[in-house]
Amino acid sequence: MTRSLKSRGYLATVRRLNTFWSIYKSNRLGMMGLIILLFFIFLAVFADLISPYNPYMFSINVYAPPSWEHILGTNDAGQDIFSELIHGARISLMVGFFSALISTVIGGAVGIFSGYFSRIDSLLMRVTDIFIVIPSFPLMILLAAYMGPSINTVIMVIGLLSWPYTARIIRSQVLSLKERVFVESAKVIGASDFYILRSYILPNIMPLLFANTILNVSGAIVSEAGLSFLGLSDVTYKSWGMILYFARIRGGFLKGAYWWFIPPGICITLVVLAFTLVGHALDEILNPRLRRR
Amino acid sequence: MGLRRYIVKRGVDTTITFFIIIIINFLLPRLMPGDPVSRLIGTRVQMSYEERLALLKTYGLDKPLHEQFIVYLSNLFRGDLGVSLSRYPTPVIEVLMYGLPWTILLVGFSTFLAIIIGTILGIISGWRRGSKFDIASLVIALATYSTPVFWIGMLLIFFFAVRIRILPIGGAFDPELMVSTLSPTYVLNVLKHMVLPTVALTLILYGGQYLIVRSSIVEALTEDYILTAYAKGLKESTIMFKHAARNALLPAISYAAIEIGLIVAGAVLTETVFSWPGVGTIIYNAVSDRDYPVIQGAFFIIALSVLLANFIADIVYGVLDPRIRYG
Repeated sequence: MTRSLKSRGYLATVRRLNTFWSIYKSNRLGMMGLIILLFFIFLAVFADLISPYNPYMFSINVYAPPSWEHILGTNDAGQDIFSELIHGARISLMVGFFSALISTVIGGAVGIFSGYFSRIDSLLMRVTDIFIVIPSFPLMILLAAYMGPSINTVIMVIGLLSWPYTARIIRSQVLSLKERVFVESAKVIGASDFYILRSYILPNIMPLLFANTILNVSGAIVSEAGLSFLGLSDVTYKSWGMILYFARIRGGFLKGAYWWFIPPGICITLVVLAFTLVGHALDEILNPRLRRR
Repeated sequence: MGLRRYIVKRGVDTTITFFIIIIINFLLPRLMPGDPVSRLIGTRVQMSYEERLALLKTYGLDKPLHEQFIVYLSNLFRGDLGVSLSRYPTPVIEVLMYGLPWTILLVGFSTFLAIIIGTILGIISGWRRGSKFDIASLVIALATYSTPVFWIGMLLIFFFAVRIRILPIGGAFDPELMVSTLSPTYVLNVLKHMVLPTVALTLILYGGQYLIVRSSIVEALTEDYILTAYAKGLKESTIMFKHAARNALLPAISYAAIEIGLIVAGAVLTETVFSWPGVGTIIYNAVSDRDYPVIQGAFFIIALSVLLANFIADIVYGVLDPRIRYG
């Protein structure tokens, strides 16, 4: 009995995913974003296999312009830029992903509690509004400066300061879910708040949370690049922003080493654009308010 | 809710936020791991014991936390944000006040340009939705919106200041022109230095405005009054700018307030790349010098300006759109 119910649930999920995929496929910009994203994720995962050199290995071949030996040339320490870029994908994506995860968890929790429990709603929203007004990037700089350069600090700082918009979006969704018949009837039967949250509210906002995480990743990657560029991250983790930081402080870009500072910027732009496109495509499909009528 | 009550309510909210920013500013250097005293007044070899004691006393650092807060507040309202560690004994407020006009000049002008360009492109794009112009400008706007501003800055410097040397690499004026009187040569020199940073900042700021205007134009075009205007036989350009744009511009006004975080972050990074002598470059230098009082003070000044800008935007919006007052 339980098993057949479960398998029916499984089939329904598969069917829903199929419908979702067929809608998503028709979104051209969303597909473009997805392809770019998969490409960079592939680079990040197989970085050690793909990159021709160890990006941290020094050599005497400094400031070498692009050649067959070094596709994108070398930097002031003779390190291979192409390999740096591939390993940079790993760090930039990782920081973006973990920061987004933190901000989604906080924003999601604040949004759910605020939307569901009307008693704490105005307090939580007031806190959220304050966080929206306080300029987050300067505060990130301040916190990162106090805590010293470290990749974990950067992740924490971005995650802890980027949640307010998620909280707002989730809250408004929970507010409308709360009024639906299935929640009302569960209440009438005497279901506890915890049960309703877990079985009715959470599954229904999951897709929205997912879309929001994707959008948060793009914001986090931009913030990470900015903080790294100001020298506030760990210099031993060469993200794309950190490569640009080095290209600037070592004077690489004033010396005309275009192969050093042009590629990382293109990578950041492409990945951020890809996350934004995928996030908006998901949002359009999953957010009932944006869905085309 | 009447307009007056709306303004009072917003004023109260803003004041509360103002005090919370003060509290954050007070607590952060004191609660972060490490020694708060050395962070707030520094530890230099040449500082005598008496000097250190005097500083401790001025900032109340020898007292318990709640008494420190009183000292902090009274210092704050006299405009005392502490002393710069790297440029000791220059007060932080003096360091920041030197940079503020430069920042306002650059950021104000770029934001203004971005709003104008974004609005015009947004109206045309929304009006001709699906056309080649629309698709092209949409893709470009999304791309510039995703590009790190400091990288755009590096590209601009590389092409226009390193390759074809027609514009300066950075700064706000040539160092030999140390006169800050508003002579024509000086003004021209500053304008020449301003071109590249303005282009960089405008490029990343216009995208948001463009996207908002475009989508509200698209929405406005489905309204009945547009159909009515067509039925009356009005010219297309009249309908476009007088009917559709007018109603669609309302959400764009609040854009500046919403995206102010982007503007601030963009300004800090742009100034850093171009060594523009504003608050952003001061922050960057303070970060490299570990000059905590200056970073802290800069955060305070920026938070205050953002708060004020938000308040003004709220009021303007409330005046223009009565519906908001009931929301």
